[in-house]
Amino acid sequence: MFPGEEAVNGLVQHVVVVGGGSAGWIAACRLAAQAKRSGSGVRVTLVESTNVPTIGVGEGTWPTMRNTLAKIGITETDFIRSCDAAFKQGARFVGWTDGSPADGYYHPLNPPAGATEIDLAPHWLHRPATEAADFASWVDFQATLCDAGLAPKTILMPEYAGHANYAYHLDAGKFATLLRDHAVDNLGVEHVLGDVVRPHMADNGDITDIELGDGRRLAGDLFVDCTGFAALLIGGVYGVPFRRCSDVLFADRAMAMQVPYDGEDDDITCHTVSTAQDAGWIWDIGLWTRRGVGHVYSSAHTSDDAAEAALRRYVGPRADGLSVRRIGIDAGHRERFWQNNCVAVGLSAGFIEPLEASALMLIETSMDAIADRFPRTRSAMDVMAHQFNDTFRHHWQRIIEFLKLHYVLTKRTDTAFWRDNTAPSSIPDGLRERLDLWRHHSPAPQDFDHAREVFSWPSYQYVLHGMQFASDYPRVDAASPDAVMAGRFVARNDRARADLLHRAPRHRDLLRAVRDHGLQLV
Amino acid sequence: MSRIAPLNMADHGALCFDRNAAGATRQIVQLGLSEIAFAAADMPLCLAKDANTGRFDLIALLGLVEPTNLFSFGGHFQATYIPRAALLTGFRLDPNGAAGLAVDVADPTIGTDGEPLFADGRPAPLLGHLHQALEQVMADIAAARTLIARYAAKRLVRPLILSVRKADGRDHDIAGLYTIDEPAMRALPDDEVVALHRADALAPSTILSASLAQIERLRQLHNARFEPAISSCSIG
Repeated sequence: MFPGEEAVNGLVQHVVVVGGGSAGWIAACRLAAQAKRSGSGVRVTLVESTNVPTIGVGEGTWPTMRNTLAKIGITETDFIRSCDAAFKQGARFVGWTDGSPADGYYHPLNPPAGATEIDLAPHWLHRPATEAADFASWVDFQATLCDAGLAPKTILMPEYAGHANYAYHLDAGKFATLLRDHAVDNLGVEHVLGDVVRPHMADNGDITDIELGDGRRLAGDLFVDCTGFAALLIGGVYGVPFRRCSDVLFADRAMAMQVPYDGEDDDITCHTVSTAQDAGWIWDIGLWTRRGVGHVYSSAHTSDDAAEAALRRYVGPRADGLSVRRIGIDAGHRERFWQNNCVAVGLSAGFIEPLEASALMLIETSMDAIADRFPRTRSAMDVMAHQFNDTFRHHWQRIIEFLKLHYVLTKRTDTAFWRDNTAPSSIPDGLRERLDLWRHHSPAPQDFDHAREVFSWPSYQYVLHGMQFASDYPRVDAASPDAVMAGRFVARNDRARADLLHRAPRHRDLLRAVRDHGLQLV
Repeated sequence: MSRIAPLNMADHGALCFDRNAAGATRQIVQLGLSEIAFAAADMPLCLAKDANTGRFDLIALLGLVEPTNLFSFGGHFQATYIPRAALLTGFRLDPNGAAGLAVDVADPTIGTDGEPLFADGRPAPLLGHLHQALEQVMADIAAARTLIARYAAKRLVRPLILSVRKADGRDHDIAGLYTIDEPAMRALPDDEVVALHRADALAPSTILSASLAQIERLRQLHNARFEPAISSCSIG
């Protein structure tokens, strides 16, 4: 900084996070932990209403959560114990392709073997007839672990390490509590309870401070809007338009149910199960204490009563007497996420059906962008806001397209929901272009604009080939170096699969061991 | 049928305890806190995770490549110090057994040689001593665990990369061992160093680090008995 610049161009020294759900507390923790690590002296205050219940979106995470927790300074042991967390190794999509009883495929969290060296898709397509494995099982071993109910790590492995890539299922309410306690007790975040009644603005359109119901005023240099669907700042103050995508993704409602296990030692599924329904799909995730089950559906294609009946039918007799919680889905996102000195993170930025558990991931990715390259000055904020808006518009577009991929590849024609989902008018142009390309070329890094895509080519391969997308890749000469290399990776997969089937612990047993004994740091 | 059973006259009346066979087939043995300085005179001392709990145990390394105790030959344990747990591998505490013990009939110390477990149809006095020794060693091992947990919580433990190369050119990695992270120890703030010292936790860490020099002793013992010889050991 040049001499005198500080006076003209104020340093960003105080961040006010508005809202106290998962988004608010992740934001506060990331910013405060980064400030502590760098010694920047940036202060973080979180203001939370006592009258607004949190939504608790997303009980599923991405593997990114391991990095986020480590950066924040929460141990995996504390996280698992406090949030009733369980391990997640991917998702199994049931009934999405043709709805037949055998219809199901995995989208594991492991990339295909040798992903940085070779594309196994053409080799899988032209594999010997004696090798009948589905794509996910041929290119990786994780589906086998999921089928067998085995964990992605052992008690001997250190925190956040695994023999397979993994994420978590968690209790979102308990997660927010853990983050709050850590933020306040260990990271020095000031926690203010109060209702925001009005912002006060500077001439340049910045928010100077926010006024609370009791008359207190909280001044800040940067405001993080984590006020959920209310979007008090990004929507209420700045009126940034909301870009809906209900013409592409039809689900506009969800209902959730907490289902107890039958017995204390019941198996805990180590992946998300997403089962297609007549007008949507049902998620089923396992926590330490219970299952979380919910139905995402299109109100244009079914009634609330019919959706609830479908959910209860799926859960079976255990659903008797259990209540459902209803959630509206206004699918879409803001046209801009960062305006002046206000950045929206979480539901205030946008929301979409939780088909690939993108809600928490987007919060983490947003905070990576903000905290890891924190604007030192107000003027730097404008450049960063521009970059941030471009990046996250791109991310949202890609997420919408990737979710649509799950629908557009269906061969189901049994209900209007599935027929409408394949209507050309509902398919984004970018996705349609790529699908044409992918008939003859396997999805590859070159098909994506950004070096860090939220969904990259491995995810596309798992879904495309899991849903039996008609692809016609050139046959690879069996004697070619590529074929030899592919054979080596497949053989390595087979060895890893056999070893882990013998060595990996049962999922619930590992969680019990972590709860009883903890994981080591090394 | 389990090889470990509550000790009883009917099944075990003819068995003896042979202390010279102690730990004959063990590559590692657990150590108690009070044994650190004694065992370090002969053996490399490392940390290893318990398979069920993942917690660190303090162990003495008795072998490298072959599944054997390199200190056990010629009918004796050839070291200045025999870890107490190595002497007691044939027994467990068991309230249902004679003298409160269970016996592992497959352990090398249990057989027809040595001191009888029963005399005149009654448990021999030896069994009372073994019971007492087992209780003591378990408490001592627990104290060592507490010490190591303190190191681990302060991130003063690191994986030990131990690789041996045999004369035939083959390399063998010995996995699953940990040791004190000396750079992390040196980087500790002064007040934490003093706190460790006042808690009698600083000197043991130095002994554990220094004991790794005994890996060379294991190499010599190996080469005196086994072919092909170990030409080098790499410690990282």
